[in-house]
Amino acid sequence: MSDARAAVLFVDDEPRILSALRRSLRREHYEVLTAESPARALALLAQRRVDLIVSDQKMRGASGLDLLQEVVRRHPSVGRILLTGWPEEIPAEQLRKLGVRVLVPKPWDDAALKEVIRAHLSAVPPAPRHG
Amino acid sequence: MVSGPAVRVLVVEPRESDPRHPGTAAALARLGPEARSETVHDAAALRASLSRQPHDLVVVDQALGEDALRIVEALRDTGPPVVFVCRESDDTAALEAFRRGAADCITGSAHDGQVLAVVALEQIQRWRAARERGETQRRLRWLEQLPEAVVEAIPTALAVLDAQRTIVTANPAFARLAGASQQELRGKPLATALPAPFAGAGVERALRAAERGERGRPCLVRVGDVPACAYDVRAAPIGEGRLLLLVSEVTEIEDLLQQFGALRRYHEHVIQNMNSALLALDPEGRVTYANPTAEAVLGAEAGSMEGQSIFSWFPERERQDLVVRRTLDAGARFRGAEAVAVRPDGRRVPIGISCAPLVDERGERLGAVVIFQDLSEIKQLQRQVLQTEKLASIGQLAAGVAHEINNPMGFIHANLYQVCEYLGDLGRVWERIEALRKAVAVSPRAPSRLRAAAAELDVMIEEVDASYLLDDMGKALRESLEGSERIRHIVQDLRAFSHQDTAERTLSDVNKALDSTANIVWTMMKHSVVLTKQYEELPPVRCYPMQLKQVFMNLLVNAYQAIEERVASDGGRGEIRLRTHCRDGGVAIEVSDNGSGIDPSVQDRIFDPFFTTKEVGVGTGLGLSTSYQLVKRHGGSLRVRSGRNRGATFEVWLPLDETKSEDPA
Repeated sequence: MSDARAAVLFVDDEPRILSALRRSLRREHYEVLTAESPARALALLAQRRVDLIVSDQKMRGASGLDLLQEVVRRHPSVGRILLTGWPEEIPAEQLRKLGVRVLVPKPWDDAALKEVIRAHLSAVPPAPRHG
Repeated sequence: MVSGPAVRVLVVEPRESDPRHPGTAAALARLGPEARSETVHDAAALRASLSRQPHDLVVVDQALGEDALRIVEALRDTGPPVVFVCRESDDTAALEAFRRGAADCITGSAHDGQVLAVVALEQIQRWRAARERGETQRRLRWLEQLPEAVVEAIPTALAVLDAQRTIVTANPAFARLAGASQQELRGKPLATALPAPFAGAGVERALRAAERGERGRPCLVRVGDVPACAYDVRAAPIGEGRLLLLVSEVTEIEDLLQQFGALRRYHEHVIQNMNSALLALDPEGRVTYANPTAEAVLGAEAGSMEGQSIFSWFPERERQDLVVRRTLDAGARFRGAEAVAVRPDGRRVPIGISCAPLVDERGERLGAVVIFQDLSEIKQLQRQVLQTEKLASIGQLAAGVAHEINNPMGFIHANLYQVCEYLGDLGRVWERIEALRKAVAVSPRAPSRLRAAAAELDVMIEEVDASYLLDDMGKALRESLEGSERIRHIVQDLRAFSHQDTAERTLSDVNKALDSTANIVWTMMKHSVVLTKQYEELPPVRCYPMQLKQVFMNLLVNAYQAIEERVASDGGRGEIRLRTHCRDGGVAIEVSDNGSGIDPSVQDRIFDPFFTTKEVGVGTGLGLSTSYQLVKRHGGSLRVRSGRNRGATFEVWLPLDETKSEDPA
């Protein structure tokens, strides 16, 4: 039976950040998925439905923006949020082009992060189910 | 004996001597050891000898035969006297010899050898005397002719004037000057003979002085305009009331003097005005010349450097190593040497020196030529570049560190926060446990197993001091969270410090940025500080508002801490004043406090990275240097005015036009 809840995918190459995120969002009403690399994230997206992707910017291999670019190409209905320690280094132009709605700075404020995700999920209709 | 040079006698006689007649040479031996006699045998030899050197006497022997009288004739009036030696008893030959110009005759008999010597002597002396007289007369005639030759030939115009200033006589040079012939000039008044300038006061003065017998000064007369001719005019008395007027043309000399003067002045101008300092030193290192730039750089009064030793401008222990010393001692040349001079007012001036030996045409060393520049500005620029480089490398380090810290801090902070939340939930469970224990305690009919379990619970709670644990866990977590917050701030500082801007600037209201930052800090300060705001209307400034706020935050916190420091020791009320106004094409933001101030000895280091006067753990020392960098990125400037215990005013100046990067103040 497929999960009716919304699914949020967190991508970061630091596993402890993923576990901290999981801890923080335990009581939220959406499913928390994690991926440790852009490749794994894309693999996951191909396998199942995801409503929102929250990605780190500086990862080994590809950057968050590169990943989000791919996501736009393959799964355009998935929401996109960038989580980064260097918000000033992201050109606003690029964010707009990729339709990245929000930039969350690292270290993040738990409450603020939850609010951003909630707002995003309520605004966007859930993606069509498949598989 | 005859005085003077050796006597030379020439004897002309047949080869074979007549045994009847004694040799003439022997007879002449009586003239003394200085007498030299030479004997020849014919006219040709005679001529040869005479032409070789002068003789005082010629003795011709009749024994030569017919030639004898012919030789006498030939010698007539041509040179030395001739003495004829007769060999015959009658005096026909003798008379004939006299007629032919012989000076004397003697018979050549035996006892006349004596007579020969005497006669010879007499003739020689007479001949010599005559010769001297002739010599003297010749010289006299030559002397008499010399002045005239000189007068005629010399280029100086000469004229003899009488007391009425009429020309008595003039030399050819004067005639040329007057444009008339020597004849025409005789009897002409001087005034009409020469051009008007020669009748001027100067010439008249010279003439009058000469009349008085004085040596008057020569005067300079100029004739014409282009080209002008210049003449040196002098006069001298020459007796009998007459004056000698001498006029030499000195046009060329005058011209050369003018050119020389002009060239010398030009050179002086060059040296006076050149930007480099120039010194000429004598071999001992004393200044023989210093141009104005040299005086200015070394802080000397005009003209005061001459005669002073150059070494007196350098500290004692550095004098030996000065390159100038090597130039003076060994003639070495230097370019681009550096030294630090000390001015009379105590200020130290870094200078760049080039020196070379000063030599004259013969290669004699006259001292040294030293050219130098004040390097203060260059040194300052060097320091600035060094500072910028230091900051850049520190920035890179900071960026790397921040990056590494950021990630772990992310999850540490999040986890701490979560654990706090968990604790909160567990706290509620604890409350229920407490309630349960109480409930059991007040139920006398609770089952024994339940009671036993409750008792064990009580013991356990007591043993681990559970309530304390719960309480303290919360505290520990909260304190850790605070710690992680602080780290976050430090990381932010580091990042801002090393930040490479890629985003664009935005037009902002500086007053708002300042005010909002002040309000944040106000909550911290409100109990001990009075804050006054004097905001002028400011145009929007293109900037990075976040960075500006960080600068303002830094300045405000510093002000607050300075006040804390002073109030702690002196008491009193803390005041912070914020003032904004427009200035010089930009906006100025002043943060003034009446805190403990900044000691002048550290004032130029407060913007250095990691420099801090605060205690360990309070300040990272990054605040002001970061602020300095951030303001500089905006093309502005950050300055401070302060003194110990006199408070401080920091001023941030930002240009409105970002293409201008220098604060004109």
